[in-house]
Amino acid sequence: MADELLRMQNITKIYSNGFIANKDVNLVIHKNEIHGLVGENGAGKTTLMKMLFGMELPNEGQIFINGKEEKIANPLDAISKGVGMVHQHFMLLPSLSVAENVTLGVEPIKNGLYDFERAVAETQAIADKYNFKIDARAKVRDLSVGQMQKVEILKALIKGAKLLIMDEPTAVLTPQETEELFEQLFVLRDDGVSIIFISHKLEEVMHICSRVTVLRHGVCMGSHDTKDLTQASLSKLMVGRDVVLKIEKEDPVTGAAVVSIKDLVKINTIGKNVIDGVSFDIHAGEVVGIAGVEGNGQTELAEVLSGLGMFASGDVLLNGETIKGKTVREIRDMGMAYIAEDRMVEGVAGNMSIKMNIVADRFTKKEFSKGIFMDAKKINDLVDQYIKDFEIACDSPDEPVRMLSGGNIQKVVVAREFTSGANFLLACQPTRGIDVGTAEMIRKTIVRKAREENLACLLISADLNEVLECSDRLLVMRKGKITAAFPKANEVSEETLGEYMLGVRDMTAEEMEALL
Amino acid sequence: MSKTQRIESTMEVVRTLVGLVIAYAVALVILFAISEDPVYIVQQFILGPLSSPRRIGSIINLAIPFTLCGLAMCFMYAVNRFNLVPEGIFMLSACTVTWVALKLGNGLPAIVMLPILFVVAILTGVVIAFIPAIMERKFNANVVVVSLMLNSIIAFLAVAIMRYTMRDSSISYIASYEIPASAQMPKILGKFSIQSGIIIAIVAVVAVSLLFYKTSFGWKMRLVGENPRFAGAVGLSAVSISFAAQLIGGGMAGIAGCTEMLGNYTRFRWSATTQHGFDGLLVAVLAKKNPALVPIGAIFLAYIRIGADVVNSTGDIPPEFITVIQGIIILLIAAESFMSKTKNKLIFKAAEKEEAERKQKQQANTAA
Repeated sequence: MADELLRMQNITKIYSNGFIANKDVNLVIHKNEIHGLVGENGAGKTTLMKMLFGMELPNEGQIFINGKEEKIANPLDAISKGVGMVHQHFMLLPSLSVAENVTLGVEPIKNGLYDFERAVAETQAIADKYNFKIDARAKVRDLSVGQMQKVEILKALIKGAKLLIMDEPTAVLTPQETEELFEQLFVLRDDGVSIIFISHKLEEVMHICSRVTVLRHGVCMGSHDTKDLTQASLSKLMVGRDVVLKIEKEDPVTGAAVVSIKDLVKINTIGKNVIDGVSFDIHAGEVVGIAGVEGNGQTELAEVLSGLGMFASGDVLLNGETIKGKTVREIRDMGMAYIAEDRMVEGVAGNMSIKMNIVADRFTKKEFSKGIFMDAKKINDLVDQYIKDFEIACDSPDEPVRMLSGGNIQKVVVAREFTSGANFLLACQPTRGIDVGTAEMIRKTIVRKAREENLACLLISADLNEVLECSDRLLVMRKGKITAAFPKANEVSEETLGEYMLGVRDMTAEEMEALL
Repeated sequence: MSKTQRIESTMEVVRTLVGLVIAYAVALVILFAISEDPVYIVQQFILGPLSSPRRIGSIINLAIPFTLCGLAMCFMYAVNRFNLVPEGIFMLSACTVTWVALKLGNGLPAIVMLPILFVVAILTGVVIAFIPAIMERKFNANVVVVSLMLNSIIAFLAVAIMRYTMRDSSISYIASYEIPASAQMPKILGKFSIQSGIIIAIVAVVAVSLLFYKTSFGWKMRLVGENPRFAGAVGLSAVSISFAAQLIGGGMAGIAGCTEMLGNYTRFRWSATTQHGFDGLLVAVLAKKNPALVPIGAIFLAYIRIGADVVNSTGDIPPEFITVIQGIIILLIAAESFMSKTKNKLIFKAAEKEEAERKQKQQANTAA
């Protein structure tokens, strides 16, 4: 086990916008091992792997493969050095056969033409060697997700990969497929292929990895033998706050339920229950936080509540009325405001003026029209007022939004959503990727509006600081379910929260009953 | 206006001019190679269109259908639906108004006749534009493909209507009967001989510009076109709005065909579509989907076309060559990223300068 296959030493990566994705990260992979790489969203796992696979270049640090220092310039270079990557989102050509996909880039040639038979033979040979049950002649589009993943692995193996990077390979698999995958990974390991296994699922990491490296906010929290760890101690290493933010606030005086979610179920296109029987209420005057590792149904929940997504069963009442079958317009008129997760996609139209973006949700209303035209003066006055109130740094209200900084773009979004007169605010990642000052303004405004204006707010955020400090009640979402509920968010320790987020512990329905 | 905005708009103008200069330079080089008298040809190409009132009138006359089709395409382009059916509508609406005018006969005065014909043209446009729009909405059929195919169908439909219902067999060429005098729009402005459709074009430009920038429907269209998901998230129905925009664009194309027919011809005699719709798309692209700029794009395109005609009739250059030059000019103007590096550099420099100034001020402040 002492043989070193890969050593990444003091790797630092700073993106051009100044974001430090990795800081002095060390990673050592031995021969014949399955090595876990874990960390929260944005901890820097993907960046680190991108550098190993030649998709990004490190600013500092060295990479050694088999003891030799290497510069990995691009993915082809990485492949030639024996590194293979199985992407989370498959990169396959669905209309071609398995053999054609696997041999892509190393096509066998006969008489200047593609030799399909040999491609099939080669694919079958390597599949048999590692005990992959797959038909090389089948079209990829006819395969199950688990089989597609095998094709991805074969693609790397046929190019002679000795180190396989697997980015959350089990996220898309059923439990049976996961078991099968693990069996195959063990075969690969015993045959001399090392595997870097990126996952949020601690039980899987504990089950198959011999060692694990933890990243937190771009910093390496060390490598550990899994036999020395428990799931609880691992989650403690992963989840933590770098700077503790404090928002002074008194306890909420809650009113009636503004939003009631009842047994909500949403099924995605591949038949998975992405929201699986969620029920809870949000009352006037309180901020309810939802914490959770991303991809556990939070985005889908926001889609349903905002009216942008459908749901299969259950019901959502907003101010006493169901939102089922209602358009976004109707739901907004019923009292919903929505800060979207990705501001450039659903929060603003970049090429349009600040003015149009601020009044985008309301310019169609009668009060803004004067005959057949819009009331320009009324709109201008309103927009000028909001630009002042929210301190949007811009030269004129007619400037296109895309020319502003991220923080100022988000101010445009909140200037619209905070002033729409809604009594329910759905805030998704409201401060993601923006400057500290604006983030603080947004968080404080959310709390203040809840206290002073009786706003009911649902705060969905991957930022622990934010959910712990802004929220009154705190819920944890995992695998489409609410798995924990806490009455006072600022009294929850991050270790406890981490254990629930990562599924080390779950609360029973009885424990949560009074808190939903 | 911010510095960045100023740089962006200045660069827009510079880019267009540089595009023009390059295109003319290329043309000049080729001309020197193939022509006996290149200087004369260039002179004819550039100055020829402006050399007589009649030629200036021709530019304007040509710019009128370009403007109206450009406006029609602005609607499609604004909501990001490349519904190219205005090409076919232009021809079909000319055909349907001729048919209706012939049926109504000489009895009606122009004041009644013309409004009826324009309503017919608008209806023709709306109905035809509805087809690709509904195909996309209901069956997810690609609107570009459907509209292009539809254009062929429409062209033959128009020819069939003409041949079997209104062909004048007393003349030697294939054309309809002459439309009643009350349906013919007079030429105006004496020696410039400009069709009175210019009034319709001017009214349309003003009306569409107001619609785009001053009404809530215009705002909706622009928001939907720029970012349909955002439009959805703030409660606009992207699907219905882009659907409506396509129908209005169709109606506008109908007006264009009708104006051209009644303003310039007495008989319907087209046997194929006329390229006006595609030229309209070009104009809309040149105008950056801003209806107020459409007439400028239209006049520019008309100026090049007339220049080509002049060269063709006076020099030794084949008209195809002029088409090549047109292509180069339009390519360079429409290519949005042409010279974008220079633009970014300028923006970057301005930002740096601003930053340096700010720092200097700060230092001065702390020193004081």
